[in-house]
Amino acid sequence: MSRRYDSRTTIFSPEGRLYQVEYAMEAIGNAGSAIGILSKDGVVLIGEKKVTSKLLQTSTSAEKMYKIDDHVACAVAGIMSDANILINTARVQAQRYTFMYQEPMPVEQLVQSLCDTKQGYTQFGGLRPFGVSFLFAGWDKHHGFQLYMSDPSGNYGGWKAAAVGANNQAAQSILKQDYKDDATREEAVELALKVLTKTMDSTSLTSEKLELAEVYLTPSKTVKYHVHSPESLTKLLVKHGVTQPAAETS
Amino acid sequence: SIFEYNGSAVVAMVGKNCFAIASDRRLGVQLQTIATDFQRISKIHDRVFIGLSGLATDVQTLYQRLVFRHKLYQLREERDMKPETFASLVSAILYEKRFGPYLCQPVIAGLGDDDKPFICTMDSIGAKELAKDFVVSGTASESLYGACEAMYKPDMEAEELFETISQALLSSVDRDCLSGWGGHVYIVTPTEIKERILKGRMD
Repeated sequence: MSRRYDSRTTIFSPEGRLYQVEYAMEAIGNAGSAIGILSKDGVVLIGEKKVTSKLLQTSTSAEKMYKIDDHVACAVAGIMSDANILINTARVQAQRYTFMYQEPMPVEQLVQSLCDTKQGYTQFGGLRPFGVSFLFAGWDKHHGFQLYMSDPSGNYGGWKAAAVGANNQAAQSILKQDYKDDATREEAVELALKVLTKTMDSTSLTSEKLELAEVYLTPSKTVKYHVHSPESLTKLLVKHGVTQPAAETS
Repeated sequence: SIFEYNGSAVVAMVGKNCFAIASDRRLGVQLQTIATDFQRISKIHDRVFIGLSGLATDVQTLYQRLVFRHKLYQLREERDMKPETFASLVSAILYEKRFGPYLCQPVIAGLGDDDKPFICTMDSIGAKELAKDFVVSGTASESLYGACEAMYKPDMEAEELFETISQALLSSVDRDCLSGWGGHVYIVTPTEIKERILKGRMD
């Protein structure tokens, strides 16, 4: 009889749980993971790309990292088709705010508006929730650099370091151990790579399996969102000694 | 006419692998001058500019809407809009308001992928008019036509183009009571954007 409280998202189970929402979170647990780390001079986002088949044409643009506005970017874990809908609404929200007030949208307000949308799908109509967790990295004049994590229930919180997707608990606990409050952006990148080597299934990291993005301020105080090219990513991997020299494959 | 309420002069010219776009700087309320540093030309991205003549309030609102739409395009497509595409966007946005239009006449100038300059103008409901040489709009448009007709030569280099567009603008606004008070000129080449402020008859 456990099906009784499963079929509709809007119904609480007798134990006070929303099963569909929990299943949505479960779906994210199988997706490629993403890690975000806040440092004193920027925010680092790193994502693991799941290579499903070598026959699949890899897309030219980033698969897990999306720019929302000039000052906000996000990393995605979960169902990509669901994520695309939310990313689109987030971009429109950010532009609407700029149109209305002629200044960039505060990061938390943007995250909140998106989480309101997510929450709506856990309460109304016989629809399923969005199977997506986000990590938002951004900068605004109110609170400087910020990192937020959101889940399918519409919960969000500000973090110094956070992980979503496969093995997020293991990643979270390593982050808890090794995170330093006064870390620089470079150190944050190193920590993110280190965590990912430990939590990913494959033993060696390569640039094809990774995506690395940073949000920081340029010397002229404008916010810059930068996604690393595979070449610069390979250089970083070698520099931090987390990649093995290319193994011979027959 | 409400198009003549604030007064304006906007002109764009094509050169050899470059273009220039210029406007006056006056914001008036009929014959009284309110400001002498009004911006009618805006950058959409490094290779596309738009100048909006007509009612100042609609100039600003229309520009903000265009930025909105262009930004979403940039994010989705991960590239800048081509000038031709942008002109079609402006035209579509204007025609949306067919029966209560934005009271402006845009001038669009840009460089395409192969560094080929593109200029065009349209009326307040988005009917495009493409040109190979120059386009004009605003209360001084009639005198601008004359000045450009007389001064324009094809395939000018950036510096000569600057001189020509500036002379055309300054001599035209002197024949118009509602525009003038100096000028704002942009010269755009594939490698750089030059922005210059002109002094003319400041009265």
